[in-house]
Amino acid sequence: MERILTRNVDKPEALTLSGYEALGGYQALRKALSSMTPDAVTEEVKKSGLRGRGGAGFPCGLKWSFMPKEVDPKRPHYFLINADESEPGTFKDRLLMEKDPHLVLEGSLLGAYAIRAKAVYIYIRGEFVHEAKVLDRAVAEAYARNYAGANILGSGWSCDLVVHRGAGAYICGEETALMSSLEGNRGYPRLKPPFPAASGVWGCPTTINNVETVANVPFIIERGADWYLTVGKAPKNTGPKLYCLSGHVKRPGVYEAPLGLPMRELIYELGGGMLHADRPLKAVIPGGSSVPVLRAEDCDVDLDFDALAAKGTMLGSAGVMVMDSSTCMVAAMARIAHFYHHESCGQCTPCREGCGWLERVLNRIETGKGMQPDLDLLLSVSNNIIGNTICALGDAAAMPAISFVTKFRDEFQHHIDHRSCLTGTLALQGVR
Amino acid sequence: MPKVTIDGEEIDVVAGTTILQAAMKRGREIPHYCYHDGLSISGNCRMCLVEVEKAPKLVIGCYTPVAEGMVVHTASAKVKQARSAMMEFFLVNHPLDCPICDQAGECRLQEYAVEHGTGTSRYTEPKLALSKAVDIGPHVMLDQERCIQCSRCIRFCDEITKTGELAFFQRGERSQIGIFPGKRLDNAYSGNVVDLCPVGALTLKEFRFKTRVWYLKNTATICAGCARGCNVVVSVGQQQTTMTTRGQIDDRVKRIVPRVNEAVNAHWICDDGRMSYTKEQGAARLEAARIGKAAATYDAAVAAAAAKLATASRAGKLGVIASPRALSEDLYAWREVALRLGGATFGARSLVSGANDSLLVRADKGANARGAAWIFGATASEDAVLAAVAKGVVTTLLVLGDTLDPADTLALPAAAKGKVEVIFAGPFASGAAVDAAVAIPSASWSEADGAYVNFEGRAQRVLRCHLPLGEARPGWRIAADVAAAAGVPLPEWADAEDVLRALSQSVREFEGVTAESMGLLGVAAPAAAGV
Repeated sequence: MERILTRNVDKPEALTLSGYEALGGYQALRKALSSMTPDAVTEEVKKSGLRGRGGAGFPCGLKWSFMPKEVDPKRPHYFLINADESEPGTFKDRLLMEKDPHLVLEGSLLGAYAIRAKAVYIYIRGEFVHEAKVLDRAVAEAYARNYAGANILGSGWSCDLVVHRGAGAYICGEETALMSSLEGNRGYPRLKPPFPAASGVWGCPTTINNVETVANVPFIIERGADWYLTVGKAPKNTGPKLYCLSGHVKRPGVYEAPLGLPMRELIYELGGGMLHADRPLKAVIPGGSSVPVLRAEDCDVDLDFDALAAKGTMLGSAGVMVMDSSTCMVAAMARIAHFYHHESCGQCTPCREGCGWLERVLNRIETGKGMQPDLDLLLSVSNNIIGNTICALGDAAAMPAISFVTKFRDEFQHHIDHRSCLTGTLALQGVR
Repeated sequence: MPKVTIDGEEIDVVAGTTILQAAMKRGREIPHYCYHDGLSISGNCRMCLVEVEKAPKLVIGCYTPVAEGMVVHTASAKVKQARSAMMEFFLVNHPLDCPICDQAGECRLQEYAVEHGTGTSRYTEPKLALSKAVDIGPHVMLDQERCIQCSRCIRFCDEITKTGELAFFQRGERSQIGIFPGKRLDNAYSGNVVDLCPVGALTLKEFRFKTRVWYLKNTATICAGCARGCNVVVSVGQQQTTMTTRGQIDDRVKRIVPRVNEAVNAHWICDDGRMSYTKEQGAARLEAARIGKAAATYDAAVAAAAAKLATASRAGKLGVIASPRALSEDLYAWREVALRLGGATFGARSLVSGANDSLLVRADKGANARGAAWIFGATASEDAVLAAVAKGVVTTLLVLGDTLDPADTLALPAAAKGKVEVIFAGPFASGAAVDAAVAIPSASWSEADGAYVNFEGRAQRVLRCHLPLGEARPGWRIAADVAAAAGVPLPEWADAEDVLRALSQSVREFEGVTAESMGLLGVAAPAAAGV
């Protein structure tokens, strides 16, 4: 297939503005500013069916349409780019930012134009030092060529571009925590409503999109929504998608394919198949560590929002983590629980107290100190977290725990009953 | 007004009211920790989760506004399950050191554990060990293990005092309340964080380990610290069970906490008011009557005072100077004595120091300065009386001493000494009491019933919190006895309410002010309405 989002990733010239222009860049922005109203841009994106690539899959054009049509001068509009990519198993946004920064900027500017924003803030994960430098260079070039700043390309519309580095907290990828952090406050998620379109960063109308989401927009504007609808599975799963393949496969990496790529095609064709010929597929986490795991027999599924939802899991950030038969599911789950325990912000009670509890129980089971009530306890604590928290981090910690314990209960039970591991991992001998 | 159904009861509520407030108005408490009427909504404790029909998940009652047709269940199986889950989470890392915790007995964690908990914990892992007894300010100690991170104290310092000393530090279950490096929680209202703390994480240095709260006798009264007249609850150590516990039966003030009155002090009091009782305690009290330097019986002292006052007033040489913290009833009774004797010059002391702050504290420290002005007349000043003393116009001075702070009792200027004979009635053996010709002990602020009028003209009810020390009697009672001895008897008054009735008929500004009309929250006196 034609590579769309990743067409420039192996072309170093795309790193410079002139190189990006030579590759056809900034045409979409020129087209929008010269011949389209902001609402027409929103309408085109709405028509394309583009759904947010950050994890929830919310229709992008619809989100933009929530913004006020008039700008109150006292409450300017802001467009935020969520570049805080921190979900374990996810590494698609950093590819775009590192290899094709102007695509990210062009998409950001188009979104900002559509929602009549005064400024774009790209909130980038603190650890992405190199990517932030690349973006900073690109921003400086964009200002120099009047793709950003005052009166962009003579259109009368002005918009600033700012790259803001986070300090390395997973929670700051949650959209309202990101806003708190950007404002200089503790990265705490906020109560909703108000939703960002009504009151977001600095109390102003705000739209926030994922990096990959806005990277789609230049193609929609340049080639039209009708073309976009031909990619992927119309009407609800349209467009190209970046899949992050990791784990026990021969060729892990970022793969672009139309939405709805069959999982087995990703693993066995694009990914070159399982890493060891004698270790068959055991399980796949299809959308980053926070989504429910799938057993091998459930892996005949298309990687799109709705097909995965039908299987009781989520596309999430499309971080596809492949586990072969050597994987101890107890150890895997304990590691996931460690992550959420470490990253819980601590603001609300169930997540603050529950995530540590889950990890401790899992660690006990993993190291052969499990007790008979532990599995029911894990399920009960998880269920007490789910739905009772301010943001989705609690759910993100609890959902995998429930799916691991339910789908691989025999492995957990074996750890408890026999103080040993079915797959023979070394944790029980004190090696992790 | 939206119509909502809460637990089957259909009610009308003002738009914008939250589910928690709507339920509270109907006398139904939805359990909560982080929510507080006086602070912004943080919604983080998750204790007030309730079920709203058609909502995909439980919602927090403290934040969710009612909407037309909303059907709320606050005690469904789902809600009860969530509450007991939250209780279990709260206790996961809580030390459960209730036996040595000052909050025990008035702890929300204990109360809700009884009401909504399961009684057992399934948590068998080691609990987090955090800092205990952290000294964070002149009045406040922090125990990080007991904290349930409701953030009320942080919000108080951010929103009410705007001093921002406190914050969360660290993240996740390791997150804890703390104070910024180099800072102290030393704002003028720091003690309020202790009242706000629903658990024993923040305790008051002056109160911690002093008593168990169930041995306290609580009285709703008015702070005497300044002209604001903050509504407070004064707690007195008193044994109220048959169990004897050492140190519980001393019948003295143990602490002062604010009482909610939106019209006066909202939810707060200042630290000076909170600690005001400490000035009274331990100070040298006038425990028995004296004539000159010699101890005398109450009756003899009253007779001596009556004779001297009568003589002076016949000669037109009597002056009266009263503390602006004296109760209205006492001021009125003494005024009546002097009026009946005739020829007296009146003055109330002025206790103005510092400036008004932006929250509660008034520069005028006279808790009843307004009442004194109403009773003695607005022009009756201490300076005028002292000027009369200097000129030799006044040679006998009736001094009504201060009831809160021994340092605030009138001390005669050196020039006046020897020129004037002092008749003293007051609680403390300080100032003018020292060289008084006659000194009679009267009840202090926490020892008598009466009325204070605050700077806005709001009459509020002061109630006796404990018995007077020694021979001290209410001021109006002493006045009545002196009047009788001087042959100008006052009406037969049985209690302070009788005096107030006479006062309200005699002094225009007090018209309609009665114990009933003041109630718990006071009443704006009619004369003040137009002011």
